[in-house]
Amino acid sequence: MASKGSILLVDDDRDIRDSLRIILEGNGYTVRMAVNGREAMESLESNMPDVMILDIMMSTDTEGFDLAYELKNKPQFTNLPIIILTSFLDKVREEGPDQYQHILGESWPAKWMFEKPVAPKKLLAKIESILGV
Amino acid sequence: MMQDVPANGPRELPEEIDEQKRVVYKELKQRTLWFIKLRWFVPPSIAIGSVVAEQIGFRLSLGILFATAAFIFAYNTVFHFMSRRQDPDIVRERAYIRNLTRWQFGLDFGAMFVLIHVTGGIASPLIFFFIFHIIFASILLPPRSSYGFATMVVAGMIAMTAAEVTGRLTHHPLVLNGKSVNLIELPVHLLIILVFFGASLYITAFFTSSIMTMLRKRISNLVDLSEAVKRLNRKLNALYAMTQAIGSIRRFEQVLKIVTTELGQVMGVVGISIKLLSQDGKELRFVAADGLVADVFKSKVVEVAKSPLNREIIEGKPFVTGHVTRREMFQFGEDLAAAQIQSVLFVPLVVEEKVIGILGAYCKYPERFTPEEVDFFRQAAGLVAVAIENAQAYESIEELIQERSKFMMRVAHNLRSPLAAAISILDVVRGGYQGELNEDQSEYLRRIDRRIRTMLAMINELLSLAKSREVRRALAHKPVDFKLLAGRIERTFQDEARHKGIIFEMQVPGTMPVIQGDADMVEQALENLVSNAVKYTPAGGKVRAEFSAAADGSVKIQISDTGIGIPTADRAQLFSEFFRAENARVMDEHGTGLGLALVKEIVDQHGGRIIVESEEGLGSLFVVHFPGPARRLD
Repeated sequence: MASKGSILLVDDDRDIRDSLRIILEGNGYTVRMAVNGREAMESLESNMPDVMILDIMMSTDTEGFDLAYELKNKPQFTNLPIIILTSFLDKVREEGPDQYQHILGESWPAKWMFEKPVAPKKLLAKIESILGV
Repeated sequence: MMQDVPANGPRELPEEIDEQKRVVYKELKQRTLWFIKLRWFVPPSIAIGSVVAEQIGFRLSLGILFATAAFIFAYNTVFHFMSRRQDPDIVRERAYIRNLTRWQFGLDFGAMFVLIHVTGGIASPLIFFFIFHIIFASILLPPRSSYGFATMVVAGMIAMTAAEVTGRLTHHPLVLNGKSVNLIELPVHLLIILVFFGASLYITAFFTSSIMTMLRKRISNLVDLSEAVKRLNRKLNALYAMTQAIGSIRRFEQVLKIVTTELGQVMGVVGISIKLLSQDGKELRFVAADGLVADVFKSKVVEVAKSPLNREIIEGKPFVTGHVTRREMFQFGEDLAAAQIQSVLFVPLVVEEKVIGILGAYCKYPERFTPEEVDFFRQAAGLVAVAIENAQAYESIEELIQERSKFMMRVAHNLRSPLAAAISILDVVRGGYQGELNEDQSEYLRRIDRRIRTMLAMINELLSLAKSREVRRALAHKPVDFKLLAGRIERTFQDEARHKGIIFEMQVPGTMPVIQGDADMVEQALENLVSNAVKYTPAGGKVRAEFSAAADGSVKIQISDTGIGIPTADRAQLFSEFFRAENARVMDEHGTGLGLALVKEIVDQHGGRIIVESEEGLGSLFVVHFPGPARRLD
């Protein structure tokens, strides 16, 4: 069966990685994984995915955002859809869109955020709508 | 050279002004009394003058002249005794003296008219004496009186001359040796005129100048006083500005900057410095300096052990010098000399009897700092010390809050992550990705899922509770839009209510007053209340949320339900953490017991009140009051 799309999954938690991988592959997607920002960048540069699922708090409190911000300035990644996963939706909301506007802004596609644990149905539905399958 | 600051300060300003007034009136009174003294000479002069004139050859109406002299003597005696009276009340005394003066002039003029009439009327040499009389009247009396007298004299002279010319009054010409004195004809006549003329001028000049000198002196005193008042006013304004700064500005550097610039301006010095004592009391570090000394002292440190001067100041004795001569006394004496500083003033900065540093003023002029200035500087130092303490305290509190916030965030993250991971794994298994499950397996896994989610919810609520209990979130004082909140709550719960078969009503008036507070927290509180109402109301029941405003700008929210109600026994503990009423436990196994604790916390933080009315089996009513901007209900 042809892959519906390729997904890069970036999270430092092994259980989250394994669970999401099983769910995504079980629904026809190809999944590559990275455990931190550096690995993610390497993977992105060698192989552009269709969607990236990105955790925020990894080895540092803002590693996910740091990566997203770095990508924003690289033209080849401006159209990469990014779904952000965070344990901390409240905090992000609290700090204000102003703080993270440059990452979550209208002009840039990282505008989807889910709080962990994310319901598999929701995640799959979102990916489908992004990829237009 | 150490100078001691005097124990009592300069005299109070109102006293000073009163004293000056008293002096002025006293001197005016002296002048008036002088007049009385001078008048003693007049009757004898008239008598002697008339006799001498008769001898020379003039023919005068001696009778009238002597009578007038006696009259003058008489009223002068009266005035003499009347002037002895002293009235301690300045205002009354002033009026009394004025009246006395008016009477003196009035009677004098009367006597003058008689004398002039019998010595030739309009041709009398005595008319010159009116001149200095009028000048004196203008100095001692208000304008109305002096103009009045002038008019009286002119009118009188006109009347008298007219009467003499028309013959109604006998003209008494000056007759010398049988001949009428024609003033221009003989030198002796001219001499007489000139003598009288000259005499009047000199008398006038004498009196007028002495009075004017006195007045000028007093005027200059008053100008000085007025300057002093203005200076005081400026100082008060500076102190006020500093007080404002202490109240409203929190940042340490800003407070220091404002204080040094304001002080520098008001004292009119080239530099102000603030040194703070280190924790161990061994070092004084320059933290702020304004003006000329800013570059000199930037970041310099004074070792207390090496500076007896600073040690003494720390022990409480201010240091003043008008001449920075012994440079070795100052740790930075060379720098001071280079900046041409001649006067220096240091006072300790004291907060609650603890010395926290030294405030210094520097001036290029010698002998600059009077005891008055030292006093003011000490008062200013009091304010500066408080400002510094406050700013430092505020900054350390802010740091604490930041640290705590970060800590809480990490705690929450570390507690949530494993739970989120566990649920993800459960999702995989329950989703059949690892193989199909039978009913029992599904059910048990569902229970695991449920318990873990409850725990996640509890962590979220505990986090909220901890956050709301932090040092008052003064940071989140923004307008709370109740209409917006109401709308959001309605959207959040209407589906759930519909699925449960409950009627959910929301009532919000057209306009709601705007309250200052933390909108997120308020929303959370209302959500918890509505969530409870919906949770504990069985199908077919009703939940109602009603918003209303009171005249005083406060907001009332009533959330009522027809649910299971709250047993009376449980009423007391209702808002305690983790408490769950028995009947609630039956209805929903997995509640956290934190919802109402959070609601109470939030309402308290906003200075509001919450009241519960309930009957088991019938329903509950929660009423929350949020006070308006003017009043807090705590």
